[in-house]
This record gives sequence, C-alpha cells and structure tokens, in this order.
Amino acid sequence: VTGSELLRRAAKAGLIGGTVVIYLALVGMIEKFDVRYLVGSTVTLGKLLMALPVAMAGYLTVRPRIRAGRVELAPPREAVVAGLLCGVVAGGLIAAGVAVVHLFPDGAVRNVFISVSPTLLDIMTFGQSLPVAALVLTVGGALLGGLGAGLRVTPERYRRPLLTALSVTLLFALLQRIIPIMLYQLNLDSTWLYSTITGGLTVVGAVVVFAVSAAVSGWWSLRGRNVRQRVRGLPQRQRLTLRMAGLGAAAVILMVLPALIGSVLSQILGTVGIYVLMGLGLNIVVGYAGLLDLGYVAFFAAGAYTIALFTGANVVTSLGAAVPPAFSLHLGFYLAVPVVIMVAAFIGLLIGAPVLRLRGDYLAIVTLGFGEIARVLVTSDWLKSFLGGAQGLRDVTDAPVGPLGFRNPEPFYYLVLAFCALAMFVSWRLANSRIGRGWNAMREDELAAEVTGVSSVTYKLLAFAMGAGIGCLAGTLFAVKIGSLAPTSFDILVSITALAVVVLGGMGSIPGVVVGALVLIGLPGLLTEFEEYRLLLYGAVLIAIMILRPQGLIPNVRRMRELHEEELEQDRWLREQEGTGLTIAGGGGGSS
Amino acid sequence: MTQDTGKDLAEGPAASTRAVLAERVPLRRVILAALSVLIVVGVTYASWRTLTLPAAEGRLDGTTWRNLVVLGIAQGSIYALIALGYSLVYGILLMINFAHGEVFMAGAFTSFFVAAPLESSGFLDRNFVVSILLLMLVSMAASTLVAVLLERIAYRPLRNAPRLVPLITAVGASLFLQNTFRGFFGPQTRGYPSFNQLEGTWTILGIQVLRTQALVIVTAAVAMVALSLFVARTKTGRSMRAVAEDKEIAGLMGINVDRIIVLTFAIGGMLAGIAGVLFALVFGQVSAFMGFVPGIKAFTAAVLGGIGSIAGAAIGGLILGLLESVVPFLLLKGVHVPSPNQLKDVIAFAILVLVLVFRPGGILGTGEPEKEGMT
Repeated sequence: VTGSELLRRAAKAGLIGGTVVIYLALVGMIEKFDVRYLVGSTVTLGKLLMALPVAMAGYLTVRPRIRAGRVELAPPREAVVAGLLCGVVAGGLIAAGVAVVHLFPDGAVRNVFISVSPTLLDIMTFGQSLPVAALVLTVGGALLGGLGAGLRVTPERYRRPLLTALSVTLLFALLQRIIPIMLYQLNLDSTWLYSTITGGLTVVGAVVVFAVSAAVSGWWSLRGRNVRQRVRGLPQRQRLTLRMAGLGAAAVILMVLPALIGSVLSQILGTVGIYVLMGLGLNIVVGYAGLLDLGYVAFFAAGAYTIALFTGANVVTSLGAAVPPAFSLHLGFYLAVPVVIMVAAFIGLLIGAPVLRLRGDYLAIVTLGFGEIARVLVTSDWLKSFLGGAQGLRDVTDAPVGPLGFRNPEPFYYLVLAFCALAMFVSWRLANSRIGRGWNAMREDELAAEVTGVSSVTYKLLAFAMGAGIGCLAGTLFAVKIGSLAPTSFDILVSITALAVVVLGGMGSIPGVVVGALVLIGLPGLLTEFEEYRLLLYGAVLIAIMILRPQGLIPNVRRMRELHEEELEQDRWLREQEGTGLTIAGGGGGSS
Repeated sequence: MTQDTGKDLAEGPAASTRAVLAERVPLRRVILAALSVLIVVGVTYASWRTLTLPAAEGRLDGTTWRNLVVLGIAQGSIYALIALGYSLVYGILLMINFAHGEVFMAGAFTSFFVAAPLESSGFLDRNFVVSILLLMLVSMAASTLVAVLLERIAYRPLRNAPRLVPLITAVGASLFLQNTFRGFFGPQTRGYPSFNQLEGTWTILGIQVLRTQALVIVTAAVAMVALSLFVARTKTGRSMRAVAEDKEIAGLMGINVDRIIVLTFAIGGMLAGIAGVLFALVFGQVSAFMGFVPGIKAFTAAVLGGIGSIAGAAIGGLILGLLESVVPFLLLKGVHVPSPNQLKDVIAFAILVLVLVFRPGGILGTGEPEKEGMT
C-alpha cells in the first residue's frame, strides 16, 4: 500500500465515520441512548454511539487488502498515522456539524430536524463552549481512530482476545437488566458488578469482566486447537455422550430460565419464541425453497383469527358488548390447533397456486399484496360480523390444560418453548429429508432440478403449505398470549420482522432463526430505548447482512461448506500461479 | 410433470389417451379459463346490480361517476409518475427497487420544509407559479439525492448477486428510509400548505374538474412526454436503451454503464419528486410513512402496463387509478358490501395478482415477464 493511497483511504473512512455519527445524532439515537449507562457514570450508550463509528473507521481504514492474491497489510507506524488522520477528519466533520447548528438562531434547526435539541448539543459538545468542544472532538477523534487502526495492526495473538474481551464487556453492559436479576435469584451479590444507581457495570466490574474474558479468550486461542483435536480424537461413544450432556445442560437451563429471570423478562422471551416460530416457518419458504414471501403476516393472522374463531372468541360490538361472531366453534385449544394448521396450510396453497410460475421478485410483490389483502380484510366492515372489524375479537382461549391457563408470562414461556421445540424438530427433519433435498435442488437451479425429477410445482406448493403450517402457530400462540385480537397487530411490519429474523441468522439455518429472534426481538425488549429504533435497526440489518455477509450470522452448514470450498480452491489456484512464476498484473483495473 | 406422463404411458392405451388429453388441455389452462369465466360473470352481475340499484338505496348519479373518473385519472397520473421510476430501473437492472416509494416520500416530505415558511411569509399566495416550481425543484432534488445514494450504497455492491439478495436489501432500504425520515423530521403527519389559486374548480369540456386535479394531470402528462422524448431522441437516452438491452455489450461500445445506471435512478427520483409535490397538494399532508402504499400501487401500475416500458407505466397508472376509484363502487355497492372504499386496496392487489396470473408481461408486454428492451 503506498502512503498517499493509505492517506486517501483514511480521509474517506473518516468522512464516512463522521457522517455516520452525524446521522445517528440527527435521527435522535445519541440523545435517546445517552440515558443508558454502560460502565461507571460516564460511558453511556449514546457516547459509545459517538465513539464507535470513529474507531471502526480507523479499524477498517487499515484492514488488509488482497491484491493479486497477496494480502497487503500496512506497516504499523503508517497504519497508526492513517488511523489518526481518519479520526481527525471524522472528529472535524462532527465539530463542523455542531458549528453549523450554532450558526442558526436558537431552535431554528430543531424546527426541521426535531432531534437537534439543546440536550443533544450539550452531549456532543461535552458541555463546553464551541471552540473547546471542536478541539476535544478533533483530538478525541484522532485518538479513537488511531486506537482502531492500532488494534487492527496488532498481531492476531493479542488482537483476538482484546476484541473478544471488548465485545463480552459490551454484552454484559447491555444485558444489565438480565444478569443482576439472575445473580440475585442465585443468592449472589451483584453490587460489585452492576451499579445500583446507574444500572450499568461498575468500573471494577467492567475491568474484571474485561480481564477474565481476555484471559479466557487468550487461553482458548493458545489451547483451543488442542482441546478441539482431543474431542475429535475421542471414541464415537464418548463424543456422543459429550454432545448429549451439552444438550441436556442447555435443556435444563431453558427449563429453569423463567424462575431465574422473573416475569418481565419471561414475557420478552415469550415474544421471542413467537418470532422463532414465525421465523422457522418463513425459513422453510425463504431459506429452504428460496421463495421470498413478503406477506407472511397473512399466515400469522390466519393462525390468530382461526384459533380465536374455533375456540369461541367473541366479537366486540361498537357499543362495547361481546357477542359471538357469525361463525364460531367451541373446540378445545389442543383439538383446534391441528385444524388451524390445516386451514393455514390450505391458505398457503391458495396463495401459492396462482404465483407458482412467477419469478422470484414478482412472487415477493404478489405475496406482499396478499399480506396487505389479509390486513385490509380483517379490518374491514364487510367481514365485521366474522372477524370483528377494527374492534377485533376478544375472549380468546388461554390454552388450558385442566385448570391451568397459559396466559401469564411464565407458563406461556413453557407453552412457546414446547411449540418451538416441536417446530424445530419438524424443520430439522424436513431439511434432511427427500423433500428438503428437493427444495435445495430447486433453490439452486430450478431447471436442473426439474430435469432430475423434482417437480417444482409440487415442491413449491409443499413449501408454501408447510411454511404456513408452522408460521400460523406463531399467530395462534400470539392470540393465546394477548387474549384479544386487534387488526393493527397484523401489518406488513410483522412480515418484514420475520424476514429480518431469518436473514440475520442465516437463511436455511435453524439456530440462525433463534439467534436472529433473540437479537432482533429480545434486545429491543431488554433496552426500552431501542424500541423506537427497532424498525430502523431491522432495515439496517437487512441491508448490512445482504451486503457484508449474505449467508447470515450462523450459516446453514451445507452452504458454509460450499463457500469455504470455493475459497480453498481459489487459494490453491493463486499459490499455483505464484509457483509457476506468473504475476497477475493489473488487479482489476478499471473497476472501482 | 414429464415423469408422470411417462408412467401413464407405461400403463396401457387407455392411460395414454388420458395423458395425451392432459397434454393438450393442461389443468392450468382449465383452471385459468374457469377463473376468467367466473370473474367476467361476477363483474357483470355486480355492475348490473349497482347500476340498477333503486334510487332510494343510494344509486350513484352521473355527476358522482364523472367525479370518480376524474379523481381516478388524477390519482392514476401520480401512480404513473412513480411507476416510471420502477419501470426504468427494472428495464436496466431487472430489479424491483422496492424503496422507490420512499424516494417519493423523501421529496414530498422535504418540500414541506420549504412550503411551510413560504406560506407563513405569504410568498406562496403572491407568487403561485414561482412557488410551485420552487417546491418541485426542492422535491426533485431531495428525491434524486435519495435515489442516487440508494443505488450507490445499497444496490451497487450487489449488482451481480442472486436476484433475491438485492430485493431483500431493497425491502431493508425501504424500512430504513421510512424510519430515518421519521427520526429526522418526526413521526407526526404534517399538514401541507394549500394554494389559494388551486381552490375551486375549472370547467373543462363541460366537466367540472378540481383545480388541483387539473394541475396534477397536466404536470404528469408534461413530465411523461418530456421523458419519452429524452429517452427516444437524446444520445443519453439512446445509451439508456442500449444498457437496458445488454449491459456488457453497451459497456464494450464505450458507454459508461455505471453512469447510465446512476442516471436512471436519478431520473426515476426526479419523476418521483414531481409526484411527491402533486400528491402532497392533492391530499394536503405528508408523513414519513406516506410512500409505502403509493409505492406498491405504482409498482402494480408498472406491472399492469408492462414493466420496463414507459408508455406501459403511463397506461398502467391511469388504468389502475381509474379502476381503484370506480370499481369499489361499481362492484360492491350493488351487492351491499358496507363501506366499499375500505376495500380499495384489495381491488388494487387483486388486479396485480390477476395480471400476473393471466398476462405476466402486462398490457403492453409479450405475455412473459422476460427481459425486454426499454420502449
């Protein structure tokens, strides 16, 4: 990397980093998140949002580039200088932004950008006057950028433990509503770890968490390979026992979790479970069969409304009285569920049939249309006597087993857990079945699959029906959870949330769905200030994942192996090229 | 399918006749034919019921119908302007820019912040033409900026990715833009200023037309004619058509493909910006979430007319606008469905599904949604 090129890259990264911070400020996140203390009484989530983009810009500026098959890493000193420059540019840009706001009369900017409040300006200037703040921002930016760049050129041996420790500390700080409660329930003292005043980690706690995780990670990077090899070397029987023990431990933890975390967090977990179910259903359609369904809310609504109608829910009249709808059965919940699944699967077939021959993107829009149709129909006056119109339905069953109902958070958690386990088992068996392989083949190449005897009509319809059958369970449980249905719960955002869950975890990956739901539903539930920016986060996740890591956080094993094979192949090819003394000149000239 | 036929053949002569019959008259055809007969009968019956409704039960008179038609045309012109954005991008990249509705919203919402001070200073009512042009300019600039950024950040890195990937990105971008504008400018709906000059009606060819609607129709028509001339006559327009035909060959012929793609997004953005101001004038309000439904409708219009074609987008928009305003009353009033206007969106989406089932290429298309040049 030539010096001037590195500097140009640094300036560009700095501009991007600064723009990101200004964006976060304008959209209101920095101010809203400034009330969430992470460590001590100074490090808040808002401050972190100001610092992190700058440090990241520095980190990414000096990331190694692969050119003509060779990895090029900037030498440490130049890298740090580039990081400093990047930080100066970012800090300067932020300072310029603050200065621009000061140019206008008080409150003028706020009339347009509602987030530019005095509080925000106070946060961004650290309560100082403008020139001092500009200096602090620039110098601070330089330090952060330099730090980021320095971290990147630190040898792998130290870098990995450092990064792991930073992430773990951040995770502990973000889980501040969950870990202290668990410690308390276990009769452990948590006051040294979490401050009772700010709610965040104490300085001591943060240092301890950082040190312990760094040590563990460092040990693992030294010894981890040996341990893994030893486990791999064990006889088959013992390995199986080990796996069973791991699964057993996970199951025990899942079973006692509600007792540990209390009812508020159990409720969040219940919601997460609902989205796991929906994600599993959508995963069959999108992940296994490769059909993008943007109207998944139709099945969610179908599940919710059919269970309500089959178990004797009531319509709310405009006067507030509850009367039975025009069609109503009084089945028990567990008898009704199979019927609901069949109804949803049938609706899946109905939606799937007309769009079978359409190409992927058309299919997405048509399913989106069906989702909107579902929403309009449940809201309409036309079907009011059946579905309750805008007032919705009430008195939905609470899935009783004997005298026990499942509406309260803790029991509901177990209900959802049982359904999730069932749906996961079904998905897992499907993925490895003849049908699953058929879907795989169809997703990769429809024509080739057709030629080898995979009828794409049958398999697409199967995917729609099975996805609907699983996805409707989410709606069913949702109805049980809240006990009354309002049509506003069934809009397009449900579909997009489910899609984000599947995409974040990795399309076609069952653990991915769980992780996706935990991150996208659980995290905003834990940190209330996230709630307002949930959708912004989903949008950003969809874009970022598709651009940076289309296989998702926890990729489907088969796909990961395919990708990995390709990389290995490429490496081997490059080595051969170098071995024969060929040089690959140019390196993609012209493409920028 | 093929292996089924083979099995049937092996079973004997009777089975083979059945197989031949099945091949001549495929099940799909039969279902489609039955479906179309059903639709025609249903539509005829329902319209007849509506038109022969006793006056006491709220039969609509001629003026109401005429108003609905004009409203439909005005609404349709806005759809057509937005639809062009989808169509142009689809023609070149074969990709549905799902976030185009948000591009439209960006223009309308941004222009509000110029319109509001103009109104409070009284400039708006004194200089009608200047203010309208200014608002259009601001709106076009904002929409174009968003469209170009969208292409650069979200779509360009994925140009050679599998088709679902950019579509998912586009869905994400749509959500992201909505909530960005919500964060920037606030979640509430803002009342768009109204022009004194646009209040009241004009009588054109004996039909009373709201002045706003007249403005909408004329502006949209001018914009669309300008666009067709641009694409048909200028050198850049020819490059656009060349890139739509074949990106690689166009590149070899010395056309800067990246530049043309950016330009396409920019033109789509400009038209969406114009549509944004018109929409705000008609409905008198803007919000961060105003783009979603018109966006989907406009996409429907583009598909209806034949995606990738400029004339198609115009025709599709007009037809969709008309159907949407007339059909709920025409079909549902007579069969006593309460508040037919609520089901407007269902009609629009049902039309989308039906078009894709019966004629996936749209009205001006060839019957298959395959790649076609820009026309």
